[in-house]
Amino acid sequence: MVLTLYGLAAPLGGTATVAMTLAEKGIPYTFVSVDLQHGEHKQPEFRKKQPFGLVPALDDDGFVLYESRAICRYLAEKYAGQGPTLIPTELKAKALFEQAAAVEFANFEPHARAAYNEGVLKPHFNLPIDASALNTCISKLSDNLDVYEVILGKQRFLAGDEFTLADLFHVAFGTTLAEAGCDLMTSKGPNVKRWWKEVTSRPAWLSVLNSGIKTTMCEDDAFKSGVSEP
Amino acid sequence: MVLKFYASPFPVAGGGIVALALAEKQAAFDFVPIDLKTKEQKTAEYMALNPFGKVPAINDDGFVMYESRAICRYVDEKFAGQGTTLVPKGTKERALVEQAVSVESMTLFPPLDKVVWEVVVKPERGLAPDQAIVGKGLKEISDTLDVYEGILGKHRYLAGDDFTLADLVHCGYLPFLVEKGVDIMTAKERPNVARWWNELMSRPTWVKLQAEGMKSTV
Repeated sequence: MVLTLYGLAAPLGGTATVAMTLAEKGIPYTFVSVDLQHGEHKQPEFRKKQPFGLVPALDDDGFVLYESRAICRYLAEKYAGQGPTLIPTELKAKALFEQAAAVEFANFEPHARAAYNEGVLKPHFNLPIDASALNTCISKLSDNLDVYEVILGKQRFLAGDEFTLADLFHVAFGTTLAEAGCDLMTSKGPNVKRWWKEVTSRPAWLSVLNSGIKTTMCEDDAFKSGVSEP
Repeated sequence: MVLKFYASPFPVAGGGIVALALAEKQAAFDFVPIDLKTKEQKTAEYMALNPFGKVPAINDDGFVMYESRAICRYVDEKFAGQGTTLVPKGTKERALVEQAVSVESMTLFPPLDKVVWEVVVKPERGLAPDQAIVGKGLKEISDTLDVYEGILGKHRYLAGDDFTLADLVHCGYLPFLVEKGVDIMTAKERPNVARWWNELMSRPTWVKLQAEGMKSTV
């Protein structure tokens, strides 16, 4: 039986993060759009799957999981045998992956999300931007990216020389920064720029951008959208 | 060489989380206090361990790492044969732990961090808390705990019937509120959360850590 992904069909946030992982691993899935605009995610019916009233959620033949990072970890583990290895297995390599994954949610996401809320969402709802608040989160992000610049001068990706979920988790919010008027991902330094270009050029991300988040018909479809060969 | 553990000398926040995990795993370590008041965590010497200039960090016989939740996972795997299993091996069981760990860091922690800043850190610096921020933060935390109430009515701990990393990470920051007299964890309207919280606060490893503080096992 096939996986069902519930979420928002847009190239940002948790749903896009999961969609990219599904594409990386060549996993076919059914997509069910949740109507966030009309508050479907807060309704009791949806809360049976996701009690916090957030998207995305995954239903794997009755096993329901939420939190995009947890879903991606589950997919990486369950489908360890196909597509790229997104979580290392050796003790120390895995620990360095966990470190990089923690840096993402502790040092990158809060500021990237704040920049998105202030610089993209507010204008979308015709609310005035608080320039001071926007500058604060961009400044914090900049300080943290100074450290990324050093790390990425020593190794190709955040956890080592292989692409992992730690890099992937940055994509869906990182790509909204430019829209918020923040060009840090390309202007911070040559190493961050090189890494960002590599990560956002992956076929799996391009498929989310170009083909969108939608039901894949079969395994061949899933492979064509994400990985180069089954 | 025994594992060196660098943190602020109080069993709270990220350092407290790692100290509790080390205790759960019965792991030997050498504790090296880092003085946050003098900003020792921003010295070049410390930042050679954690370039983000934050505590905690470990140096396990030359293997250096930082970020409290990552360190807990490493310790759990390295000492897999002893103590409490913090992250289960089964794929689905593990996924449910990851789900609950993610809820703590993505949903509970952001408002909690803001409230702790207002009611704990600012008074220490002679500044008055912003009650609007405190009120908003406590409401968000309360809303999240309302969902925990449903989850903890179905099983004993957050990811199932066993204590895991998902429960452990909650011991870092929520105790700050309790210490300040904020009754949020034992509110009568949430008996399941109160039951769970009392179990966590009664855990022998937690009680010992709070009583004896951060100290080397060797």
